[in-house]
Amino acid sequence: MRKIMFLLALFLFTGMQLVQAQKTVTGKITDAKDGSGIPGVTVLVKGTTIGTISSMDGTYEISFDEKYNVLVYSFVGMGTQEIEVGSQSTIDVKMESGITEIEGAVITALGISREKKSLGYSTQEVSGDDLNTVKNENFVNSISGKVSGVQVKTNSNFGGSTNIIIRGTTSLTGDNQALFVIDGVPVNNSNTNASSQRQGGSGYDYGSAVSDINPDDIESINVLKGAAATALYGSRAANGVIIITTKKGNKVRKGEDAIGITLSSSVTMGIIDKSTFPEYQTGYGAGYGPYYSGGDHPGLFEHIDFDGDGNPDLSVPTTEDASYGEQFDENLMVYQWTSSVPEHEDYGKATPWVNGAKGPIDFFNNAYTFRNSVAVDGGSEKGSYRVSYTNTTQTGIMPNSKLTRNNLSVSGSHEFGKGLTVSSNVNYMNTLTTGRNSTGYSNNILSSYRQWWQTNIDIADMESLYMDLPEGQKRNVTWNPHSLSDGTPEYWDNFYWSRYENYTTDVRDRILGNVQADWKITDYLSILGRASVDYYSSIQEERLAVGSTSRRWGISRLDAGSGYSRYNYNFRETNFDIMANFTKNLTKDLSLNAIVGWNVRRTNINTIYASTNGGLVVPQLYAVSNSINPVNAPVEGSRIYGVDGIYASASLGYKNFLYVDATIRRDHASTLPEESSSYFYPSVAASYIFSQHLKADWLSFGKVRVNYAEVGNSAPFASIYDVYSKPSPFGSTPMFSVPSVKNNINLMPERTKSIEAGIEMMFLQKRVGFDFAVYKTNTIDQILPVSVSTATGYSYKYVNSGEIENKGIELAVFATPMRRDNFSWDVRLNFSKNTNEVLSLYDDVDNLVLGSYQGGITINATVGEAYGTIKGTDYVYVDPEDRNSDKIINGNNGRYLRSAKSDETIGNITPDFNMGLTNTFTFFKNFRFSFLLDWQKGGSVFSLDHWYGDATGLYKFSEENNDLGNPRRDPIVLIDPSTGDHSAANIDPSSGGIINSGVIPVLDAAGNPTGEYEENAMRIRANWYGTDGYGVSPNARFVYDASYLKLREMSLTYVLPKEILGEGFFKGASFSLVGSNIWIIFKNLPDADPEAGLSSGNLQGFQSGVMPTTRNFGFNVNLQF
Amino acid sequence: MKKILFILLVFVVASCSKDFEEMNTNTKSPVAVSGETLFTNAQKNLADQLASVNVNTNIWKLWARYITETTYVDEANYDIVNRTQPGNAFRTYYRNVLRDLQESAVIMEEATFAAPEDIAAKANRLAIVEILNVYAYQRLVDMFGDIPYTEALKVDETTTPKYDDAEGIYSDLFSRLNTAIAELDDANGSFGSQDIYYGGDVAMWKKFANSLKLKMAITVADVSSLNPKAAAEAAVTDGVITDASENGTLVYLGASPNTNPLYLDLVASGRHDFVATADIIDTMKFYVDPRMDLYYDLAPGATTQLGGAYGYSNAYDLYSHLTATIEEPTFESMLISVEEVEFYLAEAIERGWAVGGTAEDHYNAGITASIMYWGGDAAAATAYLADANVAYTTAPGANWKEKIGIQSWLASFNRGFIGYTTMRRLDFHTFPQPPQARTDDGSTPVRYTYPIDEQTLNGANLDAAAAAIGGDNMLTKLFWDAN
Repeated sequence: MRKIMFLLALFLFTGMQLVQAQKTVTGKITDAKDGSGIPGVTVLVKGTTIGTISSMDGTYEISFDEKYNVLVYSFVGMGTQEIEVGSQSTIDVKMESGITEIEGAVITALGISREKKSLGYSTQEVSGDDLNTVKNENFVNSISGKVSGVQVKTNSNFGGSTNIIIRGTTSLTGDNQALFVIDGVPVNNSNTNASSQRQGGSGYDYGSAVSDINPDDIESINVLKGAAATALYGSRAANGVIIITTKKGNKVRKGEDAIGITLSSSVTMGIIDKSTFPEYQTGYGAGYGPYYSGGDHPGLFEHIDFDGDGNPDLSVPTTEDASYGEQFDENLMVYQWTSSVPEHEDYGKATPWVNGAKGPIDFFNNAYTFRNSVAVDGGSEKGSYRVSYTNTTQTGIMPNSKLTRNNLSVSGSHEFGKGLTVSSNVNYMNTLTTGRNSTGYSNNILSSYRQWWQTNIDIADMESLYMDLPEGQKRNVTWNPHSLSDGTPEYWDNFYWSRYENYTTDVRDRILGNVQADWKITDYLSILGRASVDYYSSIQEERLAVGSTSRRWGISRLDAGSGYSRYNYNFRETNFDIMANFTKNLTKDLSLNAIVGWNVRRTNINTIYASTNGGLVVPQLYAVSNSINPVNAPVEGSRIYGVDGIYASASLGYKNFLYVDATIRRDHASTLPEESSSYFYPSVAASYIFSQHLKADWLSFGKVRVNYAEVGNSAPFASIYDVYSKPSPFGSTPMFSVPSVKNNINLMPERTKSIEAGIEMMFLQKRVGFDFAVYKTNTIDQILPVSVSTATGYSYKYVNSGEIENKGIELAVFATPMRRDNFSWDVRLNFSKNTNEVLSLYDDVDNLVLGSYQGGITINATVGEAYGTIKGTDYVYVDPEDRNSDKIINGNNGRYLRSAKSDETIGNITPDFNMGLTNTFTFFKNFRFSFLLDWQKGGSVFSLDHWYGDATGLYKFSEENNDLGNPRRDPIVLIDPSTGDHSAANIDPSSGGIINSGVIPVLDAAGNPTGEYEENAMRIRANWYGTDGYGVSPNARFVYDASYLKLREMSLTYVLPKEILGEGFFKGASFSLVGSNIWIIFKNLPDADPEAGLSSGNLQGFQSGVMPTTRNFGFNVNLQF
Repeated sequence: MKKILFILLVFVVASCSKDFEEMNTNTKSPVAVSGETLFTNAQKNLADQLASVNVNTNIWKLWARYITETTYVDEANYDIVNRTQPGNAFRTYYRNVLRDLQESAVIMEEATFAAPEDIAAKANRLAIVEILNVYAYQRLVDMFGDIPYTEALKVDETTTPKYDDAEGIYSDLFSRLNTAIAELDDANGSFGSQDIYYGGDVAMWKKFANSLKLKMAITVADVSSLNPKAAAEAAVTDGVITDASENGTLVYLGASPNTNPLYLDLVASGRHDFVATADIIDTMKFYVDPRMDLYYDLAPGATTQLGGAYGYSNAYDLYSHLTATIEEPTFESMLISVEEVEFYLAEAIERGWAVGGTAEDHYNAGITASIMYWGGDAAAATAYLADANVAYTTAPGANWKEKIGIQSWLASFNRGFIGYTTMRRLDFHTFPQPPQARTDDGSTPVRYTYPIDEQTLNGANLDAAAAAIGGDNMLTKLFWDAN
């Protein structure tokens, strides 16, 4: 924090020291609390603009005309002191430290530094230490629970994308992700995941581009939450902004030791949290029910004479990927998939029918992350620099998964005199990822483990039959062969084959940098010019080895047994900014800060996707040219966006207690029709520091604030004019088609209007305080490709329509309940509750389908409800208006009735509230222990894993005892079988089967319903796939509450005391034991992490084949020289 | 200071970019194409939809009892919620077939052709587009009943098209078809090679159109207000398909993505999802049908064809599957065929319509054409027809509907929807119910329920349509399914 102040102070006073002087004062400014020197304190000669700032160790030197006699020492958060000079030539000053975090200067929109107390809108900072101590592959994950109003949804995919939303979903179908800005440069955070991948189709989560940023380079982040805070950024910041300030070198005085070296190293181990992985039943093996042989073991095949003795032998139905088969019995010898594999020791043998010795959990490895970084910083009188390099190597829980990232960052600034300072910051990032995990339903190992699995499989067999075969002889020998005589994989490859042969690789090379010139023309006017670029080139390669099961592949998405595809994605964004800044005290009490600026942004995205067609000719040669059929034309994409913006802002401050801000920006966007392509957004904000007038001992600081803002948003690329799509030709006959989206020539910008009010207070010498905000945001005229009836000839049509309202409260509380010499306890709490409501959609349409999923599930925006209603089939209730009333069961078959319609609302993805609580304990000044609890209440998730897995008999509950105390999978035993009556009176006490809880309609003598209901007593069999799940249950059965309470982070840090380090080689050293996602204290979703999902983006609330979550434990070392 | 202002001014002026609109151009897709290319795409999509056996796309071969499923048996048990087949059908027909046909016609109407042959062909092209429109709409009506029609494909006017009365749609389709037939002039060409069914042969299209008219008349034979008798007689007078060489087909190519969808579903997918049903195998065995070997292979080690129990789990290796002939990538997709026409004619005679010949003649011609199509020889056909169970006069069955129905069903093999519709129309047989039938009483559905998407996107109109047809239920009979 202080470093930033130091830099800012440097910036502000550059060029002011050219005044002739007659008198010199030196001294040291120290912290009254611990005696340490304070860098960056402004020392001003009263009545002049002459000033300086204290250096790194708190010393200063100032020369001025003798006629002046008073020096003013000020440091944000530490108040101001005035000292009469008199004849002194040495003045040492002690300053009282406050809670600087809540009152200090912060970086606001466009990199403008402002005193936090003057802001009329809500911002919240997180320091680099708070982000970095417990490291994550993607630093965005580290924000969870640390800022109110921010909802972070990490997902357990390897290198996967993270969803980050500030103050709720505002755009129905547009991007709702927060904007990231690093040192004034917007950073692209797009994710290239395909629309089908996001809706549970096969694919991979290629992660979020912002994860390229090295957390070790982050000095601090500041979150701008509302539209008033971000209005100067224009349309792109409608979803809030996360401003990242990176670490910089420090300018020092002549002759000082200028160089500093920091080394840090960390290792983290991730271990699967078993509460996020299925708990399997262990009593029954492969099969869908007792269908296969008519003999004593109906769950097994017996039609193959395997040993040649002329009699059919018992064998496992290997094609069946379910576990509703025969009960395990170690004395029962059966032929299993391994019996027909020559390389296996059980070749030709029958083996005991038992639960797999090693189950799915043994497939996974522990995950490791190694991170090493070195940073060198230094400076001279005229400038400073910092160079850092970080290498991160991560292996995932899946075999053959690895992510390597190299970050090189160089920053520097130099003062050229005459008020001109030039600075630059260049980052090179390179990320190489191998073996991402598949997501979704098909060809995903996890969807086998969670949905389609045989519990009799021993993972060790699969492993040895891939890993132990010599290179060149490796085959796809799977647990799921077509039959014992035909080893062709039926549905599932050997999972080791999948991991080692059908792996992905993707690499992203990125350069992010800027050059900036600051010219302080006079003491009240400065000009800033900045050019920045974010450029990256990435390639994503997918492979399907010869010998794998077929799947939809490549451009045509037609079935192929092998293949290769590559997706090149090139991104370039340039920004040119020029900004004039005018700061002056208009009168003694009235100060003005005015800004006029101009921004030119150009974004250019070029993509090309190419694939083989129909398979590979030469195995293991992964090249498009190695295609069996002539390749389809590659899919090219070329998108150019331009936005020109001009903006102005004015801030008036009156006597340091009343501030009024107004901003206006006009954007000209290339994606809108010419007549509506320019649009304005205004904002106005005011704050009043009432503690200036309400003097009370208990009140340290008090401020109220209020603001109003409008922001606009432009249209997606090329959504105005209609074009045709070009399918592959039929032989040499060309074909064109009308695309599925109807564009709209009349699009207008969409608009968000927001009002916000807040209060900040601090008490008891700033030991306790809070920041409370209320806001209401309405987003209207949304530009959306609304789903339309396909009877229109289209699936979507672009319209300007619809309104979403977000109302919410945010509360950030800090307190130091205990502060002793050798112990202190700090508490920080962040609470956010956002209430979202879709107010209108399009015409009289009251529902917008956002995504359609397997199982008949849709995620929707529904008028009158929060964004993200989950729709599907529901139970039928006795009281149709009351989902808590009894569920009606079909009296004929004992199963739950399913609603006639599939668009019943059965859940909503939007949570009720989020809360994060950090407790930090400091012992003996050198030990710090901290932990973060992260709580989400509410929100729903549909589990396709249970939708299928509960039907296939994988889970523990499916082997439990029934109400009679018998195994539920035992057959139903009727006292009098001739009647077929399955009600209680005719059930033998030894019977298996279950009774669904609910009621059945009472019929009169004629068989018509009387309107009365009675408790269901009909017993149904529970030994087959028709018991529960996708075939027989309503979707609503598999909608779960997504609430969780997690011990998100924990760390213990030891900072080596100065006494031990002495004046030697080391300047500082610290060691930390850290943990993340250590414990899911509470959740309602069985067998998975409620946060797990497919991808970041608007579509959440659906799980299929999700990865388990890891508990991560690590050790960090940080050394400074 | 002045310098700065000047610099600023220069920048601001420069920022009024002139190339802004060009920036927003999709440089990779055309804004104008010829209508003929859109027509081809509609043809391809239509033929693909008809041929497919993908469980997401086309489950009629299941419902018609030609095949059943091995492990995942939901579609055979009439589950059309899980994989949203009705919505997929809507999308394919409206968006990928009818919309492209509509666009094709609009572009061709406005086009000014230079070449004399193109000018002469224009009317034929537009008429052929109209014929395929009628074909597609008839299929939609026969799947659902009332459907969006008068307000369909008018996205600029309404995104919630109302559903029209199915009988009214049929009436309009007859009239559109009549107009189109009258427009066809085989003295001129049409699409040429852009027509991937008939290569632009207008005479063939005329037979196609008349056969379609006959098919429509037979489908609504019990709805006298539509004058099916007159329509059928007029069609026959004008000339229907009389030989397999005149069949309306799309012959696929050997390489992806232009192979028969069956090849993808059955071979390229590497899956083993389907086996023959006991229903058809047992029937063919009863009739000693020479086509049994041509339709179904032998399970490994089996000496005769075996069919699985419909709707139950069936081990792939234990039962028969479709033959290698059908699995060829170039195997054709059939839109309308001579055997189909012959069975319609047999039926027309039985209904007392003046279409020429006797019911028995047409019945025999239909069976013979089918056997020959599948690779049988004339001797086999003759022998088959001589069998007392097959011969028209002696075949078992309470009435002509049963006789014609069962043989039409056998001949419609690989044309799931035709077989299924024959089951619905002629009610010739009752098959055993599958174990987990999703219909209320377990019996075979008689229609698709409306797409789930329509519930949310076009709810009010859907509700009105559901009320009009007697409930959006799989067991609600279509208007022509009265008897």
